[in-house]
Amino acid sequence: MVQKSPDRNYTPGKLPLRERALRMAFLQRIHDIPGGEKLHRCIQCGTCSGSCPVSWAMDLMPRELIAHFRAGDIETILHSRTIWLCASCYACTERCPQGIRVTDIIYSLKRLAIDSDITLEHDGAHKLPQIFVDIINKYGRNHELGLMMRYYLRTNPLQLLRMASLGLAMMKRRRITFTPPRVEKALKDIRLIIAHAERLEVPKEIFSPEYRPDTVGYRAIDKVSSRSSKSPSTTE
Amino acid sequence: MPEKIGFYVCHCGINISNTVDVESVRDFIAGESQVEISRDYKFMCSNAGQNMIKSDIAEYDLTRVVVAACSPLMHELTFRTACEEAGLNRYLFQMANIREQCAWVHDDRAAATDKAKALSLAAVRRVALHQPMTPRQVPINPRTLVVGAGIAGIQAALELADSGNEVVLVEREPTIGGQMARFDKTFPTLDCSSCILTPKMVSVSHRKNIRLLTCSEVKNVEGYMGNFTVTVKTRPRYVTDVCTSCGECVKVCPINVPSVFDMMMQDRTAIHKVFPQAVPGTFVIEKRERPPCKQACPIHQDAAGYIALVREGRFAEAAKLVRKENPLPFICGRVCYHPCESQCNRGSVDEPLAIRDLKRFLMDWERENIGEVEPPPKENDFEESVAVIGSGPAGLTAAFDLARMGYKVTVFEKHNVAGGMLAVGLPTYRCPRDILEHDIKYIEKMGVRIETGRELGKHFTLDDLLEGKNGYRYDAVFIATGAHKGFTLDVPGEHLEGVISGVDYLRNINLGLEQKTGRKVAVIGGGNTAIDTARTARREGAEVTILYRRTREEMPAEEDELADAIAEGVEVRYLTAPVEILGEREQVRGVRCITMQLGEPDASGRRRPVPVPGSEHDLEFDQVIVSISQQPDVAWYPKPAEGSNGAPRLNFTKWDTVQVNAETMQTDVPGVFAGGDIVLGPATVVEAMGQGRRAAEAMHKYLRNDPLQDFETHMPPANPRKGFEEKPHPYAPRYEDTPREERISMPQRDAAERIRDYREVNLGYSVEQAQREASRCLNCGVCVECYECERVCEPGAIVHNMKETEEEIEVGQILATTGFDLMDPSVMPQYGYGKLDNVYTSLEFERIVNATGPTGGKILLKNGKEPRAVAILHCIGSRDERYHRYCSRVCCMYALKFAHLVKERTSAEVYQFYIDMRAFGKGYEEFYSRVLDEGANVIRGRVAEIVEAGWSGEEAGVLLVHCEDTLIGKHREIPVDMVILCPALVPKHDAGDLARTLSISRSPDGFFLERHPKLDPVATATDGVMVAGACQGPKDIPDSVAQASAAAARILSLISKGEVEIDPVRAVIDEEACGGCRICNDLCPYKAITWDEERKISMVNEALCKGCGTCVAACPASAITGMGFTNDQIEMELEALLEV
Repeated sequence: MVQKSPDRNYTPGKLPLRERALRMAFLQRIHDIPGGEKLHRCIQCGTCSGSCPVSWAMDLMPRELIAHFRAGDIETILHSRTIWLCASCYACTERCPQGIRVTDIIYSLKRLAIDSDITLEHDGAHKLPQIFVDIINKYGRNHELGLMMRYYLRTNPLQLLRMASLGLAMMKRRRITFTPPRVEKALKDIRLIIAHAERLEVPKEIFSPEYRPDTVGYRAIDKVSSRSSKSPSTTE
Repeated sequence: MPEKIGFYVCHCGINISNTVDVESVRDFIAGESQVEISRDYKFMCSNAGQNMIKSDIAEYDLTRVVVAACSPLMHELTFRTACEEAGLNRYLFQMANIREQCAWVHDDRAAATDKAKALSLAAVRRVALHQPMTPRQVPINPRTLVVGAGIAGIQAALELADSGNEVVLVEREPTIGGQMARFDKTFPTLDCSSCILTPKMVSVSHRKNIRLLTCSEVKNVEGYMGNFTVTVKTRPRYVTDVCTSCGECVKVCPINVPSVFDMMMQDRTAIHKVFPQAVPGTFVIEKRERPPCKQACPIHQDAAGYIALVREGRFAEAAKLVRKENPLPFICGRVCYHPCESQCNRGSVDEPLAIRDLKRFLMDWERENIGEVEPPPKENDFEESVAVIGSGPAGLTAAFDLARMGYKVTVFEKHNVAGGMLAVGLPTYRCPRDILEHDIKYIEKMGVRIETGRELGKHFTLDDLLEGKNGYRYDAVFIATGAHKGFTLDVPGEHLEGVISGVDYLRNINLGLEQKTGRKVAVIGGGNTAIDTARTARREGAEVTILYRRTREEMPAEEDELADAIAEGVEVRYLTAPVEILGEREQVRGVRCITMQLGEPDASGRRRPVPVPGSEHDLEFDQVIVSISQQPDVAWYPKPAEGSNGAPRLNFTKWDTVQVNAETMQTDVPGVFAGGDIVLGPATVVEAMGQGRRAAEAMHKYLRNDPLQDFETHMPPANPRKGFEEKPHPYAPRYEDTPREERISMPQRDAAERIRDYREVNLGYSVEQAQREASRCLNCGVCVECYECERVCEPGAIVHNMKETEEEIEVGQILATTGFDLMDPSVMPQYGYGKLDNVYTSLEFERIVNATGPTGGKILLKNGKEPRAVAILHCIGSRDERYHRYCSRVCCMYALKFAHLVKERTSAEVYQFYIDMRAFGKGYEEFYSRVLDEGANVIRGRVAEIVEAGWSGEEAGVLLVHCEDTLIGKHREIPVDMVILCPALVPKHDAGDLARTLSISRSPDGFFLERHPKLDPVATATDGVMVAGACQGPKDIPDSVAQASAAAARILSLISKGEVEIDPVRAVIDEEACGGCRICNDLCPYKAITWDEERKISMVNEALCKGCGTCVAACPASAITGMGFTNDQIEMELEALLEV
């Protein structure tokens, strides 16, 4: 699973350049999640994976995301389907004995993947959210048929043919409609909300990290927090 | 004279010197005026460092020493000792902490150096003002208190006792042994737990110098190291130590509750022995609050007791129990207005039990199946004789009680039949005469003489009885002549022919005297007498209308009685009050009524009826029976003669009731007591009986010349809900969770048929009905006092009225070994504990595999089958931020032990789910290997959830364990039949209370805090108080035992020293300056300040003072000084700190 880093690295205590950049960018994002720094406390117990209703479809278990991060292998995480399969049920976060915000961390990883232009070769899961937002922006409400059409056209048109019979059956029962619904009255407001949300950064909440550098081996968070004003990409 | 101060600053290796420029501190202090010598050194605490101080003291004649180094907690004693060895008083030394409070918490070197300089300078300036002091010596009481008798407490107690010292071992439970007594095997050697524990337990009971107090708790601790005074509260055991553990009592106890020792998986009786090897072996009765039915009953009828026996079908014993407290059981079974039922806790679930009807069933059963019953033997035989005037319920109860005590009792009755109101006031359809006679016969058999047809005031006077005139001679008199005079309405027309009072009407009918009944009868009033009158008139063939001025809500009549009356065709007009009785030729023609409406509540809390103006209307009747209330007829008492010599006389209230002392039932005439309706006014049968009983006890005390106090028969303070707020006893479900079950109503004769004659209306329960009704009882307070155990106990060990005791014990030192609780895993819903069958906690599983447990040691599912696969889950609530962050330490190993036991006793597969396997002790890793050899499946991964596989077919009952097998990175779903959870070990639920009592601190996890985690693990911050075992943190048996032995050794070292040195830091009061305001007296947390009444000043008890300084700060006259912390010293220190 571990991918060969493109640039081999012989400096003790340092990660390869590419990985180092990813790591700092990731830690920067983690820093924006209240309690996100608890990530370092993971005891690899697997409660998250055991609780995950979609882990059967994942190539990396949720637990392994943290293991890979520790191993200096964010590259593999960003290439995995796992982050895109997360159904946001928060069962892992609810049950984690160390209080790690697994679901929120997966959100951060998704953003990092998008920002780092890492997309899956054979899977378009990451495209679904954008298509969804586009449709909402256009009609003010979701249009299931349009969503699935666009999604499969952009990812796997063959699948569209396979789904056709199901789609027709649903249309017969009026579960989905051919024409998109329109929200005339509030459409302007909805568009405003989306536009506003897109301008916003990830919300920064004020909190005091419980993390103490002398109790755990990871000091990176502290360094990031003292440099949080700087752009992550400039960090070496 | 200037001091010569030696200053030493320590590098502490690099601990200090890395952050603080030690040399610069040295040079800075060297410039200080009184400093003779200033040095720095790598390790001041080393021998070389100490020797440096010693030689400097000798060479430079130093008078003060300051060391700037680590915390005084660490090395103050080291340097003080060094100074003392060099001939300098130890209190002329001062320590500056520049490590914990400076070097370790800063990273700015310059600032840290400045701070170190300030701290050092403060110490130097302060030390110049120090005075030499001498520590105090206090003798040590060699007796030790050990709190908690689990394995740690037992071990420590035995070791202390072995040394020949006295030990007081206090245990809350009825037996010693603690949690270890529950276990089956112990890891890693698989010794049988009870085989290694019980010899020690027995040994405790055999040691002469161990005083074992079970069922006891430490309530208060006062004093100080070496001289504590401990208050121990001991709950009653209700069984004395003459108990031979024969177990006969268990066979007759009708109460079954879940056994806490067996983790509620097996029932035990109310009287029980916790487990077969319990020490002490004496049985114990679990008795909580007294059942409310018994509390509410004026004669303390053992209602809950006989109900429990009825449920078991033991009617003869039950009937005997009814008779124990009740002289009129037949009467009470029929006509009692059952105050017990209104307090019955079953009422919080659905409806109260039919307590009275069950008593009637028992008495009827007794008459049919046993026949006549002999009364109990007299307890004594006294010379004195007592006269009882009136044979109503009060008189008969007093007569019975007095006769039972051994007095000669004569009852005088005015009428020709005995029974008072029971005979003349009660309609026979409620209480047939033969029933009443049955009860009276029983009382006569007791030796009570009843003289009917003898009326007070007519045949004899009160003075005759007391003074022995006319052949009478009695030592005490009980007046219970009742209230037989009906109140009048006070409206025009009451003199008319056809107007009669209810009591008169009933008496005439009952005695067979001439009494006409009209065709249309009005009964006025809403009490029980009104209903009785109306129903009797109905039986005489009249059309009856009850006129009542309020509504049904306010009606004092019993609801059942009213319903029966209505069923019999009695009409009730509410909110109707008579204003005039209309007549024609001196004969009643009708009643003029006025309609009422309800206004503001009156003194009785009922809403006062007010007339609606202009609503007068006439109703036609040919007879009016006024049944509004009764009052005593006291015409028998002569008016005081002119010029009487002031001899004591009876006094009466404005309602003509006799005034008595409510406590003792004494009237104002010595030797004369009164009770029943003549005191209460018209009341119920059982209230009158309660008065009779109370008077009997008072008369007994009076006749025996005992002080009239401490009455046993008095009602407890009225708070029947206390202890029963949510549930009837700790093992019962809450009221709202208790299954509903309808009260069985008493079968009755048909209403149309019953108005034709006076035969009894209620027919009584069948055996099945009675048992079913009795099974609704909730067994409030566990033991319901049926006294069956007392009956069968041959050695006579059972004492049901044993009281709680409190004792003060002097001890020198205290050891807390109170152990742990197990976390309740139902707070983690994902594991299904408490919802899914066959999900157990570890302690429950210990009981399952134990030979004395619910399955006799067989590992079985709830359905009795052997499991095919068992999952054992580690870390339930441990290592979990949401519950407990710590590792519970013992779970990994006992989980492996469970795996071994399952493998040994079944053919089931075992799955262990662990996060990290912690096998840290001696032989533990080897045990792990052994269990692996036995074929246990070990899966690294914490279980996410347990779900049911399905509800039917082969899925039914199967549990699916969801987890990630982290070593292969796959989600697994493993089907098992049984799940064992290993929940966290948590502090005892009330550890905080004991911590406060013993002044022990607790760590954030709630366990008791040791003085130092590594170097002082059994001492606490409070001198003389030690901790050992799992109350200090999760611990296995070997560690608990080792710690207990260590604590014993610590305690013994002080005992053998004989006395202890106490720091001289304490408060001193300047007697001249003390203004005598006494503010400090109450403020002192150690009660060390007392008030000298003669000199009007406050005084400090040096032995008690801890030098906390509270009084110093509070004294408005600044008369109190803290030795070692004088104002000068502190001011100087502060000034120096601010200077740098």
